[in-house]
This record gives sequence, C-alpha cells and structure tokens, in this order.
Amino acid sequence: MSDAPRPHPLRRWSWVILIGALTLAGILLSIADTSTKFTGPLPGVMLGGKTVVISPKPGRTQTMQFDRSRLGEKMVLQPILGLGPLSPYEALRAFLTNGAGLVLLALAALVLFPSRARTAVERLESRYSAGIALGAGLAVVLLAAAAITLLRFTLLFLAVVPLVLLVALVAALFGIACISLAIGRLLHRRLHLPSAHPLVAALAGALVVFDLAVIPYAGVFALAAVALVGLGLAVVTRFGGSGGWSFGDLNW
Amino acid sequence: MTPAPGLACARVRVLLEPYVDGDLAVTDPALAVAVRDHLAGCADCRRQHDQAVSVPFRLKALAAPAAPASLVGDVMSAIVPQRQGYRRAWTLLAPEAVLAAFILWYLSGLDGLSAIASGIVGDLQGLAGWSSGTGRLPSVPQVDVLLVIALIALAAIAAYHLWVLIQIAPASRRAASE
Repeated sequence: MSDAPRPHPLRRWSWVILIGALTLAGILLSIADTSTKFTGPLPGVMLGGKTVVISPKPGRTQTMQFDRSRLGEKMVLQPILGLGPLSPYEALRAFLTNGAGLVLLALAALVLFPSRARTAVERLESRYSAGIALGAGLAVVLLAAAAITLLRFTLLFLAVVPLVLLVALVAALFGIACISLAIGRLLHRRLHLPSAHPLVAALAGALVVFDLAVIPYAGVFALAAVALVGLGLAVVTRFGGSGGWSFGDLNW
Repeated sequence: MTPAPGLACARVRVLLEPYVDGDLAVTDPALAVAVRDHLAGCADCRRQHDQAVSVPFRLKALAAPAAPASLVGDVMSAIVPQRQGYRRAWTLLAPEAVLAAFILWYLSGLDGLSAIASGIVGDLQGLAGWSSGTGRLPSVPQVDVLLVIALIALAAIAAYHLWVLIQIAPASRRAASE
C-alpha cells in the first residue's frame, strides 16, 4: 500500500484559481488607474479613459455611439482615500476590451506560429537573454526612428514608412505573445502548478502583462518595457526562426 | 560440449551477427562450427554472411560531408570571449545616446518629432490624393546635411549594436541539438 501523500484537492483547480486571481487583480488595478489624475505619456492608451480618445488636440471628444445603457455614468463611487471618483464599470469595460484584445492577439500568435514561438521562448529563458532582448529593442527603436526620419525627407520612399511601423508592431506583438508564454511557464515552475495546456499558461502570462500595464502611474512604463523586450526578442530570434541571422547565403 | 545438429536458415540468420563478431565462437564453439558448416552449403545464408562482414568496410568507404566554407570563421568567432561582446554592447550605448540627444536638440525636442510625424501623415495623404488624381504632389522639405549625417550615423550604430547583441544572444537549445 502506497504511503505517498495525496495531492491537495484544490491542486487540480490551481490554474483556474490563478487566472481568476490575475483577472481580479487586473480589474482592481484598472479601477485604481482610471481614478488617478496621472496624465503621463499617452494618457488613456491602455484603458481609453471615459470618452476621450488619443488625439493631437486634447480638447476633442468622441460621442458615445455604442453605449445605450449608459451604466458607466450611473455606477460611479465616491472618492476613497483621495482616489476617485471610482468607476468599477469603466474598469470592467477596460479589462474586457483591452485585456481581452491583448490575450486574443497573444494566443493567436502562439496558435499560428507554435514552432517559432517555442524557439523564441527557449532563447528568452536562457541566461541574460531578457537584458539582451531589452537592449535589442532599444536599438531597433533607435534604428527605426532614424530610418523613418530619414525617409521623411524623401518622396520616393515615404510610402515605406507605414510598412516599417507595421513590421515593428507585428514584431512587438509576436514578442509579447512569447513573453506571455514564458511568464506562464515560469509560473508553472515556480508555483509547482499541475500540467496544463500551453495556451492556458500563455493566458495566465498575458494576464500578468495586462496587470503590469494597468498599474497606476508606472503601468505605461512597464508596458513600454515589455514591448521593447518583445520587439528585441522578435528581432534577435528572427521571429523565432530556427536558422537565426546569417550572411552565409550572401557569400558564394 | 555435444555437437549441435544441422541448423535451419532462420536460426543461422539470427546467429550471423554474433558469428561475424566472433562472440559465438567464444560462447558456444560447437554452434559456431554448425553455423560455419551451414554457410558452406547454403548460398542464401552465405550471401547474408558476406553482406554482414562487408558492413564495416562499407562504412569506411562512405565519404565525409564537405565542410562549409565558413567553418573556420564560425569556429573562430564562437571561441571569442563572451565578455568582449557584452563590453562592446554596453559601450555602443554612449555614441547612440550622444547622437540621439543631438538629433532631439536639433529637432527642438518632442515638438519637432511630433511635427515630423504629422508631416509624414500629411505627405502620405497628399501622395494618395496625387495618385488618385485629386491633389498635387507634396513637396519635400529641405533638410540640413548635418542632420542627415547624424541620422545615418545613428542608424548605422544602432544596426551594429543590434548585430552585436544578436551575436552574444544564447542559441536555442532545440537548434543546438539538431
């Protein structure tokens, strides 16, 4: 008769509990973020605010065409400890839109390119790779900014600018998807969670990224750091290609 | 040890490998003699025996794959101390920072960058209008050669910095095992 200890009954629900906790943390952080008066770089980039959209002219607003119930205006709490007014409805809406969008994009990238994602995550999990990816992201941003500014002063290659921005955006999204998977795998190892589908781990990782992005005051900088690491990871690994960067084909 | 009776072909073929390796003669000499006698009278089993004996010779005759032209260079670059790469990656930040600060100062900071961005959007709209025949071709603004040189230098240093980081980045475990 075996004397091995029985696993805790809640262990089979570990992933569900973790994802639920991350979701709740994301909503609470969104409530705090929407109630602060911080208007740092790109105000409302993650949560969208109430009805203000990002515009060169801060005074312009967009009419609410897709909100018939107007529940957001009714469910507003009084300020607490100097923060407020609090709007849980706004926070939930921000989570269901921006958070769901981030999760959807991350999972889509992993489903479409599983082999490339695995190669990129393996390299990210190596020693010093996160720092190298961050440095590479900074280098790519400088390179792209210099190139775009140069192209600004030409007419022939001006149309290439949107393509450069699109490639950078796709690279950053792929990198964020790989970071989500890496975070999920890290949680699996460190918290000794039971085995689960890789997309479940990636879901947990994407929720961690979203929670970092909605931290009051520091969230935009955290999101920028994650995006830089993702962009650098995508470039260093050549979108997770097995061959990597090589000039051997040019030498014949 | 009693001599083994005549062997069937199926049994002999099973014993061929230890017979060729010499192990059968050590463990069961009588059985080895029986295998030898069977081979003397069976052409099919003898053919099998000849093929088994020739395997080591055939392996030696296989040509080794040609080494790629970049083999020496790749090996030499792989043994370069990793520390040099990290040091180079850090030191490249200095010229990048200097050039970026100069360009930002030249463009009057973030206002200048936003002016460039809005100019790009306006010119792209103008290009679209011109291609559809509804507008004029947008004019390209004049730019100082000093600014252009600074931008080209920043792009070149950033590209080299990126290359250094790619070189020092650890390889994938799966790629290393393939």
